[in-house]
Amino acid sequence: MLQAKLPEAVLRRDEAFGEETVYVAREHIVAATTLLRDDPDALYRMAVYVTAVDWPEREPDEPRFDIVYQLRSLQYNDVCRLIVQITEDDPHVPTLEKVFSGMDWHERECYDLFGIVFDGHHDLRRILMPEDWDGHPLRKDYVSFGEPVAFTHNIEWALPANERPPGMPGSAR
Amino acid sequence: MAAILPPDLPELPPPPPDAEDPFAIARAALGVGTENDAVELVQIGDQTMELNMGPQHPSTHGVLRLVLDLDGEVVKECRPDIGFLHTGFEKSFESHTYQQCIPLTDRMDYLAPPINNFGFSLAVEKLLGVDVPPRGQYIRVIMCELARLGSHLIWFGTHALDLGATTPFLYAWREREHILDINELVSGVRMMTSFIRVGGLMADVPDEFGGMVEQVITTFPKRIDEYELLITNNPIWVERTRGLGVLTAEDCLQYGASGPMLRGSGVPYDLRKAQPYSSYDHFEFDIPIGTHGDVYDRYLVRMQEMRESVRIIEQAYRNLPGGPVNTSDRKVALPPRNEINTSMESLIHHFKLVTEGFRTPKGQIYSAVESPRGELGFYMVSDGDNTPYRCKVRAPSFSNLAALPHMVRGELIADVVAVIGSIDIVLGDVDR
Repeated sequence: MLQAKLPEAVLRRDEAFGEETVYVAREHIVAATTLLRDDPDALYRMAVYVTAVDWPEREPDEPRFDIVYQLRSLQYNDVCRLIVQITEDDPHVPTLEKVFSGMDWHERECYDLFGIVFDGHHDLRRILMPEDWDGHPLRKDYVSFGEPVAFTHNIEWALPANERPPGMPGSAR
Repeated sequence: MAAILPPDLPELPPPPPDAEDPFAIARAALGVGTENDAVELVQIGDQTMELNMGPQHPSTHGVLRLVLDLDGEVVKECRPDIGFLHTGFEKSFESHTYQQCIPLTDRMDYLAPPINNFGFSLAVEKLLGVDVPPRGQYIRVIMCELARLGSHLIWFGTHALDLGATTPFLYAWREREHILDINELVSGVRMMTSFIRVGGLMADVPDEFGGMVEQVITTFPKRIDEYELLITNNPIWVERTRGLGVLTAEDCLQYGASGPMLRGSGVPYDLRKAQPYSSYDHFEFDIPIGTHGDVYDRYLVRMQEMRESVRIIEQAYRNLPGGPVNTSDRKVALPPRNEINTSMESLIHHFKLVTEGFRTPKGQIYSAVESPRGELGFYMVSDGDNTPYRCKVRAPSFSNLAALPHMVRGELIADVVAVIGSIDIVLGDVDR
């Protein structure tokens, strides 16, 4: 459907486990969801959720984040999944709160836990974590518990230079 | 599908006209007109008062904090502040094997743990392509509908208590006790059962199970009649809840509100009927819907849902098939104890499952079940390892609560607790 009416938005499609995933270009996501919501053949009028998946292991020039949108059509009893891929350097996507009011909180959650910036959102604050929290917990490089243990191979990451014992690489003492 | 006809009640009074006189409400209360100077009314200004409600407020049903902007007693704006119960389950999932995640899911929507287990298990089973035998599916249905009954009982008791009725609370707790006893019988635990596992169940049900379910089937319809006798036509209840917190069908879709919220607004959508999972298409039941989308209609819908749950339990129990409850795929479910004694392969499977768990094929899926609060979905991404790479929980309470500011804007502050009660939030589900 999207392919026929908005071909420039669809980057590729992929089908697995009986579910279809459509990869959409970032600049067309608002147009694509509006079309899916209003088109009489689709009527995906309910926003189920929006979230992100972090893939730091991908090649550096490949996009690190998948932003996943799931919409539901009650009339046709169907769900569809749209994915926008964005890079680490430019983690911005346009907000969908004008299309679905319910996206407001889901986008805030995604910003809170992944650090994705939704351009145009009226109130993009943290929602689950405290406001002064450091970092975005659901990113794969976020250390969730325990203290980092210093070894020679990770010394730069584990200890700041002025805390390293003398003789260790990069020690300031 | 059955529409609930509201009891014979007078039509709702027309909403007050948007008066230009800022003292219209005060004048009406004092019985003075605009020409009467006996009472001098002075407008202090357009100031609103900011009132903090929660997170320790008993009527916010957990640790929900609301910041209310009040103009007199009228709510101008409501800003919910959530996250006090954020536990990071989605992060924890990523470092636990699939079977280890099951006890974590119990603690999300802690009023209906079996349904969380069920949603998670169905998602993983979809990734694995595993089928559960009919007996396992039927017992899952019975446990989930019992959980729905228990959850609705708590909603009923606390919602009525918020609005000043003490008796229903005691009744609801008494009946819920029976459901917790069944949980204890089958799993050894009263609340956080972890009874439904990936690939089937923890174990088959014991012999006493039948008698206890039989008791639910015979006593519950009478009990629900009693509750309705107390509340449904109670004039105080009707006055407090009719026409309050109205959410139209369009609003529900916009906010992603599901479950009794959506059905109270007149949309007959229930995942158990729309996309039947786990043999729900074998049972005959109706989807109750409301007409006005107000607090009272959501009350009627949930009361009727309890009756439908009893109907489903009865059908599932009467037609309970024999046979195994777990999948025969030994790579997913533990082999039976006696098989381990005789078969080397079973011993290896047991060892591998307990130490390492199973691996799922690469891919992403979304699978949803109908929880007492609405659509509980799991979006799961697997990279082929024995832990979920990413598991997003689409919590029904989260989306339903997002519609709260829309519902209470312009209502009186005393009615905010009634609206919160009618959403039936569980903060563990909202914050995850």
